Amino acid sequence: MSEGEDFDLDDILQDSSTPLGEPAAPTTLPVPAAPAEAEFMGESAAVTGKARMEAAYGTGEGEGQGMAMVAQSVAPSAGTIFHQVYRPWRGNLNPRWVRNWSIFRHHVYGLFSKGHRPWPMTTKLLVVIVLFGSLIPILTMAMSVLTGLNGLMEFYGVSRANLWGHVLGVFHNTCCWPLLTALVVGGLISEDRQHGTSAIYFSRPVNRTDYTLMKYLSAAVILSMIIVFSYCAYYAAAILFNNEGWAYLLDTLPYFLGGLVAAFMLVVTFTSIGLALSSVSSGRFFPAVAFLGIIFGSRILAFLIKLLFERDTLYLISPYDNLAHVGQWMMGINTTYAFPAAWSFVALLLMNGISLYILISRVNSLEVTRE
Amino acid sequence: MAEEWIVETHDLVKKYGEHVALDSVNLNIKPGATGLLGPNGAGKSTLLKTILGLIALTSGGGKVLGHDIATEGAFIRQRIGYMPEYDCLIPEMEAIDQVRYSGELLGMNTNSAVQRAHEVLEYVGLRDQRYRAVSTFSTGMEQATKLACSLIHDPDLLICDEPTNGLDANARGFMLDTLFQVVKQGGRSIIMSSHLMDDVERICDRMLMIHKGQVIAQGRIEDLKAIDREIEISVWGGASKIEEKLKDMGQSVRRTGRVMRVTRIDDSTYGTIIKAAAETNVQIRKMEDYEPSLEDLFIVIMDRLGYSVKSSKDLLGGQTPTMDQAALQGRKVA
Repeated sequence: MSEGEDFDLDDILQDSSTPLGEPAAPTTLPVPAAPAEAEFMGESAAVTGKARMEAAYGTGEGEGQGMAMVAQSVAPSAGTIFHQVYRPWRGNLNPRWVRNWSIFRHHVYGLFSKGHRPWPMTTKLLVVIVLFGSLIPILTMAMSVLTGLNGLMEFYGVSRANLWGHVLGVFHNTCCWPLLTALVVGGLISEDRQHGTSAIYFSRPVNRTDYTLMKYLSAAVILSMIIVFSYCAYYAAAILFNNEGWAYLLDTLPYFLGGLVAAFMLVVTFTSIGLALSSVSSGRFFPAVAFLGIIFGSRILAFLIKLLFERDTLYLISPYDNLAHVGQWMMGINTTYAFPAAWSFVALLLMNGISLYILISRVNSLEVTRE
Repeated sequence: MAEEWIVETHDLVKKYGEHVALDSVNLNIKPGATGLLGPNGAGKSTLLKTILGLIALTSGGGKVLGHDIATEGAFIRQRIGYMPEYDCLIPEMEAIDQVRYSGELLGMNTNSAVQRAHEVLEYVGLRDQRYRAVSTFSTGMEQATKLACSLIHDPDLLICDEPTNGLDANARGFMLDTLFQVVKQGGRSIIMSSHLMDDVERICDRMLMIHKGQVIAQGRIEDLKAIDREIEISVWGGASKIEEKLKDMGQSVRRTGRVMRVTRIDDSTYGTIIKAAAETNVQIRKMEDYEPSLEDLFIVIMDRLGYSVKSSKDLLGGQTPTMDQAALQGRKVA
């Protein structure tokens, strides 16, 4: 080999005079004898008992609860029972409202039945507890009628203050509605971002407006099922238990309607704020905590400012106090705030507007491909 | 004829501020299986979103399955099945409900969606796992569930974004077989984006390559392979000498030990090799046309591409094209 020539291993091997040993005789792996009793559907071919999914995905032993056993013949001509055949579908796709209905149903039915949105058990439990809790006045009125204790009926019966209090009372807005909203609304959009589920929606003929509207409607309906339903049930029960007539109905209907509007305003405002927070995060925890922080934090801050400086204008930053103020004005109750109700109404509009703006812009940023 | 194309675009431009994601893209994709290739950030995702009718274009236009990209996005998405690369399933839901819900989102009524969900889950090999929560699935089963979601309405066009991502050999083979059947048995079309050249080569007969927002190659894979046609020779008795000689004779040579590949310019290349062997007194023990893989093709294209490709003419590097020009069709020359 001359200097400078490349080293070539094959050339060296070829020049070597050492004879190479004879290669070992090839051996073949023993073919396992097919069990004679193994048959499938009358076929005599031997069955290895290998699971199809295990073969395809390597799920491992014992993982599958009901693995399909596939007959695999040792003889190459026998084939398997799994014939992968593509079947076309000849159906028609329904219009937009059916798609929107399926989104709505997915979220709302999920609270009650399997196969739809998998709500956490804590949320389902809280919904039931809050619903029954908000129906307690009805139970009390029923006991009053049954036992003849008129004091109970006077305390829990229909009045402007009681109608207002059922929706906007401090107890309900401390222990019930905010917690309910935080759990229901918290993960509605954030979990789509977290799990990438937005791709399932937006790669289908679902546009972002429909997506946002249906999410909003679903959350609002779930909250309404508790807040508005219990309010209406309370009013209806009071009429029934007291055996009231049309005159009573006509007298109290304006207050009832005022409370109803206030209830819807509460549902809309809480849903807007909750969904906006849900849209800016990925996960259930942050939106829920942030929502409670906004509701309670703003109230506490305004309360402290009032204590220190004797000015209550800061209550305008509290969603609850704005709702309570507007509700008092609508139901003709003496207001507990020093500023006009119109300010609170404008503040509510602003809160909803800002929340919806955040919600829409964040939903627009949801991606079909990876974010 | 225009009706032949499932996707056709004209001077498609999409800009995000100053960044040009798609630059004068002219596509003509025929029915069948088409692979979408390109490095990260090439514009594949933007192109897929464009085909799905999801983004507003800066300029240009096009049609997918006969529907206008700019105005008929909902119609397009009704006829397309999209299988995303990343997670898109609700973990706590059972596979059957997941697939049914994805059908309902397309507008299928519940009964049809349930029936079809059973069919497609069986088709993708999940018949016995369909009542399990998705969170308990392996990666392969999740991929299969995503495929079932995209097949539920029997789409005319299936878009698969990295369908074999994270799969082991068995699951990968099963997924590719399934996709192959969708095309061959079902008569459906597929656009498959993948970094795995073997996967694309196994499923697709056509490919589309994107780089920096520009289509740098599209057409039949076999035709495109002509870019990288080489002659493989095994030599004996002085590999270095013949390598030097061939290079002196103006040939492009790649060598690994005794085996070397010489770029085939035309039929005279065979004679040149024999002449070089005779002059250097080197034995040629084997000489054959080398069949490049898609990966070879990709590497060659990207090598020639550099960072300043302007058109497919640049890609060819000025050498005599040995392929059908129609097969290598990129954007118009800037």
